[in-house]
Amino acid sequence: MTIPKLFLSAVVALAVGAAVAAFGGSGKVLSLLTQAVIYAVFAIGVGLLLRQNGMVSFGHALFFGTSGYAIGIILQMQLMPAEAAIVLTLIAMGLIAFLMGLVMVRVPGVAFGMLTLAVGQMAFLSASRSRGVTGGADGMNVDWPSTLFGAPVSVLVQPHTMFMVCWATLVVVMLVLALLLRSRFGSITEAVRDNEERARFIGIRTLAPRAAVYALSAVVVGLSGVLSALNTGFVSPENLHWSLSGVSLMMVVVGGYKVLWGPALGAVVYFLAKDILGDYANHWMAIFGVALITVIVFSPTGIAGALQRLVHGKKAAPAARASHGH
Amino acid sequence: MLTINLFNGLVYGALLIVMCSGLALIYGLRRVVNFAHGSLYMLGAYLGYSIAMRSNFWVALVAVPAIMAMLGVLLDRYGFRLLQDRDPLSVVLVTFGLLLIIEDFVQTVWGKSNLSVPAPAALSTSIDLFGTPVPAYRLAVIAVGAGVALGLTLWLRYSKVGLFVRAASTDPTTTAMQGVNTDALSAGVVGLGTALAGLAGVVSAPFLSLSPSMSSDVIIDSFVVVVVGGLGSLSGAFIAAMGLGMVQALGAVYLPNAAVLLPFMLMVGILIWKPSGFAGSRT
Amino acid sequence: MSNYVLQAEDVAIHYGGVKAVDGVALTLERGQIRGLIGPNGAGKSTVIDAITGRRRLTRGRVHLGGEDVSELGAVERRKRGLSRSFQRTSIFGQMKVRQQVELASYKMGVADSGADADAVLKELDLYALSNATAEDLGYGEQRRLDLALALVGRPTVLLLDEPMAGLSVKESLDLAQHLKALTSRWDVSVLLVEHDMDVVFGISDVVTVFELGRVIASGDPATVRADARVREAYLGSAA
Repeated sequence: MTIPKLFLSAVVALAVGAAVAAFGGSGKVLSLLTQAVIYAVFAIGVGLLLRQNGMVSFGHALFFGTSGYAIGIILQMQLMPAEAAIVLTLIAMGLIAFLMGLVMVRVPGVAFGMLTLAVGQMAFLSASRSRGVTGGADGMNVDWPSTLFGAPVSVLVQPHTMFMVCWATLVVVMLVLALLLRSRFGSITEAVRDNEERARFIGIRTLAPRAAVYALSAVVVGLSGVLSALNTGFVSPENLHWSLSGVSLMMVVVGGYKVLWGPALGAVVYFLAKDILGDYANHWMAIFGVALITVIVFSPTGIAGALQRLVHGKKAAPAARASHGH
Repeated sequence: MLTINLFNGLVYGALLIVMCSGLALIYGLRRVVNFAHGSLYMLGAYLGYSIAMRSNFWVALVAVPAIMAMLGVLLDRYGFRLLQDRDPLSVVLVTFGLLLIIEDFVQTVWGKSNLSVPAPAALSTSIDLFGTPVPAYRLAVIAVGAGVALGLTLWLRYSKVGLFVRAASTDPTTTAMQGVNTDALSAGVVGLGTALAGLAGVVSAPFLSLSPSMSSDVIIDSFVVVVVGGLGSLSGAFIAAMGLGMVQALGAVYLPNAAVLLPFMLMVGILIWKPSGFAGSRT
Repeated sequence: MSNYVLQAEDVAIHYGGVKAVDGVALTLERGQIRGLIGPNGAGKSTVIDAITGRRRLTRGRVHLGGEDVSELGAVERRKRGLSRSFQRTSIFGQMKVRQQVELASYKMGVADSGADADAVLKELDLYALSNATAEDLGYGEQRRLDLALALVGRPTVLLLDEPMAGLSVKESLDLAQHLKALTSRWDVSVLLVEHDMDVVFGISDVVTVFELGRVIASGDPATVRADARVREAYLGSAA
């Protein structure tokens, strides 16, 4: 897609979102959609790491929960206005994640996954046990002030506005990432992902770009954590648990990680399925487990990949090739 | 007081030995980090519960590992074998999918509430250990752990099949070229690995209650053991398992917060400084 | 000493009890093509790895244009104009052909990286495939892409590790002649590891012969060919 087309798509997407917000029916439906959108942003962050670095993280819930906790604690201690808290949290998260990335991305393959799992669980355990600071296993409320960026919070948390805020965030995040990935930075990180050794032999210092992608994915996930804290007004250790990371990973893989919108599709499918399944919804774990296995075995590029093959027809035999490289 | 805590540490350590040796074996032969291992442990515990309720504990002790072994053979034959040319992360995600399926199955069949299994009558007594009374059952658990550790070590070292397993863990291609049926071997070893997970489950039931979260609780610990011990190294796993058991038990009493984080910090440290024990570098 | 664009002094690479390379000295003058030949396992590729920074030196020094680069990593050496291709094709599978070649040129600081990339692609007959994804190319095309990634960015010293591997006799000779003309035109000095004797003796100005991690002969092609030790070790009396 050319750049003008990208901007046009973004505008159209925003318009569609506005329409949904206005005519989307009951608060319940919009609430569900809002949750789906928040998870879509989460999944896009996780998917970014997989797509640009070829790395699988089982611990990105770390950033989802931490941003919520950070804001909650800042607001509770009344250190600064909420707007500043949000901006500061995200910036600090990016910087810290970059430093973490410098150390962590050197770890190859499955070991990296286990490392992220360990770090994420450490955060979970710490939050569960720090009753004084985080409210412990019960979680804590996030005391939002009466206005946020000029808008009254009581209006913001209405289903229609909340959905629009989250949807707009999703669209903007995707637009920014799309622009970033077609830049020099995108090329460099793709080269490092495809062939780290050759990348060095054409003059690319490979550590910083990969750490930067890790940091970027952390900020995106952190942003979804902020939205969640706004949406529910609450944050608990469950927001840091590895099972949440696992679910997000599932959305990424089932949706398809090769395209930017794949993980978002995965999130939507997840929520729709949970809703549609009705009676069977109790078995959503087994169903998603089967879906995950099916996708990996038959269409490693996910639903998005399958859709693309359907549309483009001639790109027919990538299933075999896709299994050889990310 | 100290004796009891040390003792409990040994008990938990023994349990981890049984479970983690299965994980290490599967990794050694198939280079797969089995994310579903904790769920298999849980499945074994719940199956043990049902069988023990219908007949008795001893039958469960034999039946469950047998059932889990068959499951393991199927898992290898129709899972790991077919996916062996794919990148390791794909296989790991498949085991994660398996984890979800097993969790759902357990919750569906047995429900979400906690269940308990009474210890068998023969072991429901107390024995005097250095002046402190300890449940005989827990002593038996330690014996099981020791037995598994000893048995595996001897088997790998001195039996012909053990030799094949060690060879196949080091170099599957050459071993296959030497005429060893590595597919049958892998199926057998994976079956053994899952059987061990199931055994750990059955054995744990009388002293840890059964709950749907038991797999989450234990999978992280088993990863810590296996990483700290050196992935694929059985003896390392044994030592690390005992160590972790001790740390958990003592720490729970004396330094709760630090003790809980220590294993993770160790795991993080090892993964960062020496991940070279791992397969699964980029495609 | 500093007349050489490239010099390796007493280079040794030992690992795990194996002495892959044991005391090798090499020089390369500006505009020269030096062929490296020897049986499999003689250490030729390892020497390339040592010179380019892919492997650590156990002993010895490497000088590039008079500067001692022995402590520098692969990235630094590349930025100083030392470029290499790979025996086992090493390209960026999911990226497009022109995209990756242009990126390589850009990283070398070439102002008009697009034009540089186009020029190299044309020379290697890959221009028509500019928008193809690398992993979709055929074997020969991928070998040429590997070469392109090394040629782009105006290198001063080029190390080629069996660039003809897998090509037919005619393709090999054609590529060899083409490379000779190209490197002469662009003032690039070349170290060439190859098994194909016709290629090596056809285009090299000087030849170095390896055996068991050591140099056993070095000089102009005719002299080396006639050397008794070389014949015995490698060429056989039919040469």
